[in-house]
Amino acid sequence: MSQYVMVIDLNRCVGCHACAIACRAEWQVPTGQDSSKRDQRRNWVKRLGPAETRHGLSYTFYPGLCNHCDRPACVAVCPADKVEKTFTDAKTGKTKKMTVAATWKDPFNGTVQIDKERCLGCGACADACPYGARYVNETGEAPKADKCTFCVERLAQGLQPACVQTCIADARIFGDINDPHSAVAKYVKKGAIRLESSAVKIGPNVRYFGKKKDLELLNATSTPKTMPQANLRRIMMAQAIKSTTQQAKNLGLLGLAGALVVKGLQSEEDDSKE
Amino acid sequence: MGMNRRDFLKCSTATCAALAALEMKGGNFLRPSKAIAADLPGSLGAKEVTSVCEMCFWRCPIVGKVKDGKVVKIEGNPKSPVNGPRVCARGNSGVQLVYDPDRVKYPMKRMGARGEGKWAKISWDEALDEIAHNIQAVKKKYGPHALAYFDHGASAENMRGIFEAMGTENYTSEPAFFQCVGPAALAYLNTVGYITTGTRQYNDMGHAKAMLLVGSHIGENIHVSHVREYIQGLSSGAKLVVVDPRFSAPANKADIYLPIRPGTDNALLLAWINYVIQHKLYNKEFVANHCQGFDELKAATKDYSMDWAARICDLKVGDMKAAIEVLAKASPHVNIHPGRHSTWYGKGDVGRHQSLAILTALFGAVAVPGGIYLPTPVKPSKAECAEAKAAEVESPAASLKEGKYPFSSPFGSVTADVIQAMITGKPYPVKLLGVNGVNIIQTIPNPYDTMKAINNLDFIFCEEMMAGETAVWSDIVLPGAVYLERYDDVHTYDGLTPYLTVRQPVVPALYEAKSPYWIAKNLAKRLDIKGYTCEKEEDFINEMLKGAGLTLETLREKGGIVTYPGNPYRDPKKLEIKTDSGKVNLSIKEFADAKLDAMPKFEPTPAPPKGYTRLIYGRSPIHTFSRTMNNAWLHNEEPENRLWLNTEIAKRLGIADGEAVVLENQDGKRSLPIKVLVTPGIRPDAVYMAHGFGSRSPLLSRAYQKGAADGFMMTNLVADPFIGATSKRTNFVRIIKDNKVLDIPELRPVPKEIPYFEIKRA
Repeated sequence: MSQYVMVIDLNRCVGCHACAIACRAEWQVPTGQDSSKRDQRRNWVKRLGPAETRHGLSYTFYPGLCNHCDRPACVAVCPADKVEKTFTDAKTGKTKKMTVAATWKDPFNGTVQIDKERCLGCGACADACPYGARYVNETGEAPKADKCTFCVERLAQGLQPACVQTCIADARIFGDINDPHSAVAKYVKKGAIRLESSAVKIGPNVRYFGKKKDLELLNATSTPKTMPQANLRRIMMAQAIKSTTQQAKNLGLLGLAGALVVKGLQSEEDDSKE
Repeated sequence: MGMNRRDFLKCSTATCAALAALEMKGGNFLRPSKAIAADLPGSLGAKEVTSVCEMCFWRCPIVGKVKDGKVVKIEGNPKSPVNGPRVCARGNSGVQLVYDPDRVKYPMKRMGARGEGKWAKISWDEALDEIAHNIQAVKKKYGPHALAYFDHGASAENMRGIFEAMGTENYTSEPAFFQCVGPAALAYLNTVGYITTGTRQYNDMGHAKAMLLVGSHIGENIHVSHVREYIQGLSSGAKLVVVDPRFSAPANKADIYLPIRPGTDNALLLAWINYVIQHKLYNKEFVANHCQGFDELKAATKDYSMDWAARICDLKVGDMKAAIEVLAKASPHVNIHPGRHSTWYGKGDVGRHQSLAILTALFGAVAVPGGIYLPTPVKPSKAECAEAKAAEVESPAASLKEGKYPFSSPFGSVTADVIQAMITGKPYPVKLLGVNGVNIIQTIPNPYDTMKAINNLDFIFCEEMMAGETAVWSDIVLPGAVYLERYDDVHTYDGLTPYLTVRQPVVPALYEAKSPYWIAKNLAKRLDIKGYTCEKEEDFINEMLKGAGLTLETLREKGGIVTYPGNPYRDPKKLEIKTDSGKVNLSIKEFADAKLDAMPKFEPTPAPPKGYTRLIYGRSPIHTFSRTMNNAWLHNEEPENRLWLNTEIAKRLGIADGEAVVLENQDGKRSLPIKVLVTPGIRPDAVYMAHGFGSRSPLLSRAYQKGAADGFMMTNLVADPFIGATSKRTNFVRIIKDNKVLDIPELRPVPKEIPYFEIKRA
């Protein structure tokens, strides 16, 4: 199996914001904030400093996007009805069936995706993300959670993610970390870091490479220090719009939501090839 | 609504099927799509049209992506040798320029007072008739030179011919020259024989082993090919020395950062020149074979010691020595960046860039990898049918172009002097102004004078896409087509990797917007100006392409761009220097003949008066000049600028990060509120803001009054004696918080050689 990873090389990054805007153009991401005051973007750049660090003055950037985490906090909180879904490995053709809500982590490429048809638009996933990587797009007929997909749609066309393609400094490097020859694997070997803290350890797959001072400033300003609590009210409201049968079925889960600990996906292996 | 079983069943529609198909293929880089183009999400499957960007003047080759007749995305032209499929934030945001609801949509006529912003929609015939009538009336009453034209960028070129044909000497006055690159361009032209830095820049950062940036903030100032060359150089191991009072984006990447006292750069450069000569770090062969004036230079710089410069510049001798040693060690593959925007202090601006050019020559970094290099001209043929038949323009005895400044005339009329002529009527009255591609109220320092000048005019018109301050002050505003909606010139690049490409419409022009050629042609008709005979715009493009053996059709087949081999370097033995002397001029005879300094010398610029700090400014990577602040995507990314304020000063004044303050300059002019960025990354004797914010045009609904405008704090202008360019870093501000004026303490004592600025209060 693969795990797609993006490495951002802060030694190359000049902070031009092309990535953030190419993403907005590619996926028609609205500007401003959603009704819960979340910034509407899949991809962002924050300018950090200049500020003192232990290693000297730093003026760097936080180019952020969905981390497609190893143990995503957003997936387990999704209150949409679970359905069985068949996933296929693009490399081997191998398939696997999993029962998933409206958002899941792909077992073959490691990306976290949203089914826009089945999304309830409740925003629970957006609240659960410690990186603020999700928002609710309210510009369509119904509100839908939205975030970076690692541009799997572009990958399927043989293209790079929009932000990687437009990066004027070639500071964004994309690939499979499980391929030891990939550029991202080499960056990880060189010490590309994850934005993790003792309370937030969910295995983010966007990594940052740079000088000590820049990584220190990035960590101090941008690594989440606490896991957000799932918003119970939001989940209950989402439940309310579903059928009573489904409600009854999911009440058990709801009871746990207040102290939600992210668990791995429950999956059923199916190794039979199609 | 929620996802129920019925919704799930609906997922058999084409969209769902396509989505599912994509999910199945997730992550396959190579497998081509079998899905039908129209079903593809995002910009995938769009029709692609190659063209040329104009979100800034750098003009990267692009591809416009069109779906359902609308441009949805812009990418770099993958065949471009300079940017490939990449474009910067601004390039990506061209889409929002086309569809900005605030666009100038129709010809408009002013109804209220100038600057009031009241308009009536008129027809093109009425607009052009009225402009033509006023041009003729002003010419008849005051003579041809009462007509003036301020211009910038690709959209401005067609109309320049109209003014030239009317016989005015003021047919071009480019603030982009007189308020920006002028001093640097002149210094390099006279030292090494060509303009190393101007519209193009022949500066080989990609192959340098060491680089010096003096005030240049690449990465905050973005031209994609430059940024790529700079990053290529750094990632190949080039050492970087950055000299800047502010800890800029490149300062963060620097091996040696020198936080210099503002206004003392040339003291450092002269001490370095002296050091290089005294320690014999120069390239003896290059100096012997290709330079003249070495002995004079040696004598003229011998007293500029490192100890002296350290005191003047407020730097450490050790750091200064380490920096010049790093640069010398990389010689000749050393990149002494020539700079671009050089109208800093008026006096000494040309000299500072002479010093940079001299250092380049002492290191032999001319026409070698990593140094400054020679352009490789790409010459399309001329298309006479695109131009006006020019009249012979004769300057009057008392001229705005000739005479007052010895080196200005090849570059047009001196911007500041044209404005003063509008106010004073001297040396002759200027009564009509055409403006194209430049927002003169934000760009030219002292906008209060500019507004006064406009009020003295009989008539002012402009061609614009977005109604900035200048449009609000105009009598007639013409809606220009956005670069994505029009043909234009053939664009050539004569840098390291030369190419030829064309701008062509990606989508048809919206509303009543017209191309610059159409506007010039139809105005020319009304003024009985001969020329502009091309039927269609494709005709002049085809005419120009003839020289390259191409047609629009064959160029399109080649992906919209053709590349040529570059010839940037020379064997030092065969190098020809194109100055009059045939040598690199370390001492410039032409300057001496004009009774100006043949060699650079340190000319102190006054220090901030007590209670004030110096206002410095620069570029934001997200915006172009004052042109893009209303762009929906760029505005969302950076809606306002911030005032960089030194941490210690902020502490003493009780100002917290993010607090809004107002600035008051030495002449009592106040800014709009601006939020403070408290940082140790700026010296205590300066504050900094990105240029172009604080729009005073209510017609820009997003940008109006967001942030502060540096230009509105610039009322003290010092003219450079070579070309009459005006300084922008000779203004001082103090801070007003909660209506209280706060005096800024002087934390870095000023040496006795530097006088304080004296405030003249009426």
